[in-house]
Amino acid sequence: MQKTINERIEELRAQFQQGIDAAPNLEALEKLRVKFLGKKGEVTTLMRGMGKLPADERPLFGKLLNEFKGFAEKMLDNQKKQLKEKDASQRWEKERLDITLPGKPFHLGRKHPLTVITEEIEEIFSYMGFQIAEGPEVESDYYNFEALNMSKEHPARDMQDSFYINPEVLLRTHTSPMQVRTMEAMAPGLPVRIICPGKVFRRDDDVTHSPMFHQVEGLVVDRGVSLADLKGILMLFTKEMFGEGRELRFRPSFFPFTEPSAEVDISCIICGGSGCRTCGDTGWLEILGSGMVHPRVLEVSGYDSEEVTGYAFGIGIERIAMLKYGIDDIRLFYYNDLRMLQQY
Amino acid sequence: MKVPYNWLRDYIKIELPPEELAKRLTMAGLEVELVSTFAPLGENFVAGRIVSLREHPHGANLLLVEVDLGKTMLEVVCGAKNISEGDMVPVALSGAVLPGGEVIKPTEIRGILSPGMLCSGGELGLEIAEEEPGIMILDMDCSPGEKLTDLLPFNEPVLEIDLTPNRGDCLGLLGIAREVAALTGEKLLLPPDDVEEEGQKIEQLGSVEIRDTDLCYRYTARIMEGITIRPSPLKMQMRLLAAGIRSISNLVDVTNYVMWETGFPMHAFDYDRLTGGQIIVRRAGQGETLVTLDGLLRTLDPEVLVIADTVEPVALAGVMGGENTEITEKTNRLLLEAAVFNPTSVRKTARKMNLPSEASQRYEKGVDVEGAIFAQNRAVRLMKATAGGKILHGIIDSYPRPHKEHVITLRKSRVQLVLGYSIPEERITDILTGLSLEVGKAEDTLGENRKTDEVLFKVRIPSYRSDLQIEVDLIEEVARIYGFDKIPVTPPVGMQTSGRPSQVQRITSRIKNTLVSCGLQEVITFSFINPKHLDLLQLPADDKWRNAVRLQNPLTEDQAILRTSLLPGLFQLLQYNFNRQTLNQFIFEMGRVFFPRGEYELPLEREVLALALSGKQPLGDWQNHPRDLNFYEIKGIIETLVQNLGIEGLHWEEATIPLLHPVRGSKISIQGREVGFAGSLHPLLQEKLDFKQEVFLAELMLEPLLEASSLLPTFRRLPRFPAVFRDVAFIVSRKAKAGDLMDTIRAHGGTFLEEVSLFDVYEGKQIPEDCLSMAFSLTFRHGDKTLTDDEVDPFMEEIAQALQEKFDAALRKT
Repeated sequence: MQKTINERIEELRAQFQQGIDAAPNLEALEKLRVKFLGKKGEVTTLMRGMGKLPADERPLFGKLLNEFKGFAEKMLDNQKKQLKEKDASQRWEKERLDITLPGKPFHLGRKHPLTVITEEIEEIFSYMGFQIAEGPEVESDYYNFEALNMSKEHPARDMQDSFYINPEVLLRTHTSPMQVRTMEAMAPGLPVRIICPGKVFRRDDDVTHSPMFHQVEGLVVDRGVSLADLKGILMLFTKEMFGEGRELRFRPSFFPFTEPSAEVDISCIICGGSGCRTCGDTGWLEILGSGMVHPRVLEVSGYDSEEVTGYAFGIGIERIAMLKYGIDDIRLFYYNDLRMLQQY
Repeated sequence: MKVPYNWLRDYIKIELPPEELAKRLTMAGLEVELVSTFAPLGENFVAGRIVSLREHPHGANLLLVEVDLGKTMLEVVCGAKNISEGDMVPVALSGAVLPGGEVIKPTEIRGILSPGMLCSGGELGLEIAEEEPGIMILDMDCSPGEKLTDLLPFNEPVLEIDLTPNRGDCLGLLGIAREVAALTGEKLLLPPDDVEEEGQKIEQLGSVEIRDTDLCYRYTARIMEGITIRPSPLKMQMRLLAAGIRSISNLVDVTNYVMWETGFPMHAFDYDRLTGGQIIVRRAGQGETLVTLDGLLRTLDPEVLVIADTVEPVALAGVMGGENTEITEKTNRLLLEAAVFNPTSVRKTARKMNLPSEASQRYEKGVDVEGAIFAQNRAVRLMKATAGGKILHGIIDSYPRPHKEHVITLRKSRVQLVLGYSIPEERITDILTGLSLEVGKAEDTLGENRKTDEVLFKVRIPSYRSDLQIEVDLIEEVARIYGFDKIPVTPPVGMQTSGRPSQVQRITSRIKNTLVSCGLQEVITFSFINPKHLDLLQLPADDKWRNAVRLQNPLTEDQAILRTSLLPGLFQLLQYNFNRQTLNQFIFEMGRVFFPRGEYELPLEREVLALALSGKQPLGDWQNHPRDLNFYEIKGIIETLVQNLGIEGLHWEEATIPLLHPVRGSKISIQGREVGFAGSLHPLLQEKLDFKQEVFLAELMLEPLLEASSLLPTFRRLPRFPAVFRDVAFIVSRKAKAGDLMDTIRAHGGTFLEEVSLFDVYEGKQIPEDCLSMAFSLTFRHGDKTLTDDEVDPFMEEIAQALQEKFDAALRKT
């Protein structure tokens, strides 16, 4: 019995539906597509066989076949999407990570805290036009004392108990010899604007003194340099180093190689000035010594003290580091306990 | 210098409270470190007059004492024996709190209620000198019932001033008072120094001869007779205590009191024990001896200046007196010295004898040579008041080279130049005169070129201000009294300069940054080490590291020589951290080592870089299990460093280095220049140092690195054509060196061979036992076209052939 066109299309549709319902995965779905819509698939075969149909049935058959084709494509697409989603969610389940597992560690080293502070100081002064110079750690008596107005019998030498190699050679007790060395090398050139970081040595060993410690010396020599300029530079420095809102005071003091001399205090960074153990209840912390270069020091270094003036300052690096990091024993910097160093 | 606030007020009117005064002084350069309270005492202590004494009915050795307190009478129980009727004594009433913390309340003592207590000096917290121990006898004019705190300097605020070494003049209260005068504008009140002289002329009794005028600038003497030694008045004792000086007896106390007042040290001799009544100031003879007041026998030499009589030394000049002429209770006549000695001489003697004292400290900082007579007169005046007796006529004054007045010309323009701020003329004059400097206007005599409208001050410098020597010293005086804080800030002047770090500094910083990125921790160790630590390294006797600079006066043997290598310091550090359970240590230090040169030449200082690695890697990585470090870690770090410094020509060569493993050490050179070494610590040394694990070390000289380094990489055009990659493995004898193989590959790889890298070393299955397999990855590239395999093959063949010929290397088929 000859099936009607409608019956044949219905049959096709039923077969397709059965196939699509049974397709378990994308692969099966693709097979189904090839079977029905492929180059040699059912639809193509039927299209080719259309010539055998009576001419009046052909338009209807063509129309129904095209409808089926559209329907099948849409079904396949839908099913594909569904299967893909199902597939993905299965895959994700397999690929899930424990993101709370620790990451691969990349161990960076650290610079020593004193290096960190030194570099910070260097950076601040570099931006203000200071060159960085370095000098010998073992010094002659001349540069360490004599040229800085401290003759052999000067009582100020007591302030700096020294390690001697022989009567004329010692471990430098401060970075100030670099004032004279730098000026000698540059005279009569102007301007001189340098800082000199380095190790210094004094015969002292307790909670606040280490036989070796670090200083940064600063020196500016030019025409018309004044105490007001020194204040300006040091105010900028402390602001950069300790942040805004620190009060600063210039307290007259004495160094044999500067005149006038001043010590610089900042309002205590622990208590803010109200008085605590760190600042000895004074509210102030001494952070550096400074002054106008003594005319005799300018003269022995080759400058005319009538023509030029200069200022100098010396910063204790451990002191700054102790204040900034809240370290209360200077010796901690030299125990080099790696557990401590790795905190900075 | 301790400054009792109310004592200071004897010499200057002060309205500022102590704390405020402290701030003002600090900001003028006299740093007040602390304001403390001397002899704190609360309420309920009053003066009482003893009306009657009777024995306690039930207690042996106890007394019932009736005291008049002005408005009331009180009967108290007392155990002391030194009191008698009419004595004025301190009475602690109920509610009083003793300095020791004990609260006084009515207490029954052997059946009798004692409503208060008579106090001893000790109970009031004072260590005073007394004629008899017991209750403190009030020796001043006072009435019963007066508060004790009004009668004596209890609760005295004491300013502790940390004086700078240039201000010897402020080691006396008058000096401090002058500072206050300059700050507040008040007038200095000099204490009376007029003296009533009696009896003989001093010349009839004594004489002074200065033999060494280079060491003694002035020697003055006065003589008193008929004196009585006893404790000083309580007020004087308490003032001295507040200043930190123990009371001894009236005469000694006066010398100390006047020293505190004027800054002038003095010494009293028992005149009758001075042989010949003569004072001779001279250097000691070699081997001469003197028993000083502390009872020690001192052997002297000609460096020491002594005060002698005609026979022997009687005092170390400016340092300490001798026992032989000490003031005792029997002393009837005294010779009082007020002299000025050479500061250096005093300093040397005080140091040599280990006798630093208030007196020597003042001499070292310079005593006012013109102040001797005033001090003499103040002292004998006070002595007469406390010890009675007569002041003989006249003063002996040996003063070989009298002080010359010093005048400094100060230019107003210079004040402005140095301070960067103009202070008005009148203000400058006020400040200087306030400091007791005499200021006159001067003619402009400084030269014709100078502007005629220059304002000049001619400033006479008093003898006590020997620190004021040149113009700028006066500028400082003006500035500090005016107030540093009032000088405004000006923007810096002058030519702009570049502060860019130098090439060397940038390279140094790059080295540190690279090592830190490689996971190394920077450390800083002392520049000095223990010589034993060098011995430990078992270096040959002539090794350059053994020739170290030695310190003359190290604090400990651990810091006795300057390091010639950073490694001994790092060993200490490794040990320190191993002992603290830090087993993984990756550290570096950059610092100087020192080598001696000529005797009075400065040593050679050389910057070096040292690395030390020990432990396992990777750490804390659950995906990769840690394994022991090996040589190639430290080598890799050095390679990375050198590469990052833009240095080419790094060369490693097996070498025997004394402290390294005999076959795991390498010399390192750069462009043919030896720069250092790296390797594994020698196993025997490791054992000796008690390291439980292998340690890898390197030390490199910095200078060759700096010289070879270039921070400016040259741009290489990016390749436009693809490369051909070939991996190839060879089986070679274990004796063959990878470096040699790679050199050969490079030599025979032709011009298109871009890169050779070794990616595997294998031993085991399929490889003969005395052989290894080394696998290389080769990259070929042509600059102008795409290479084909056919073009690369001949090079690969050539490489294989060269390796076969040189190393008997067999191509490994896969």
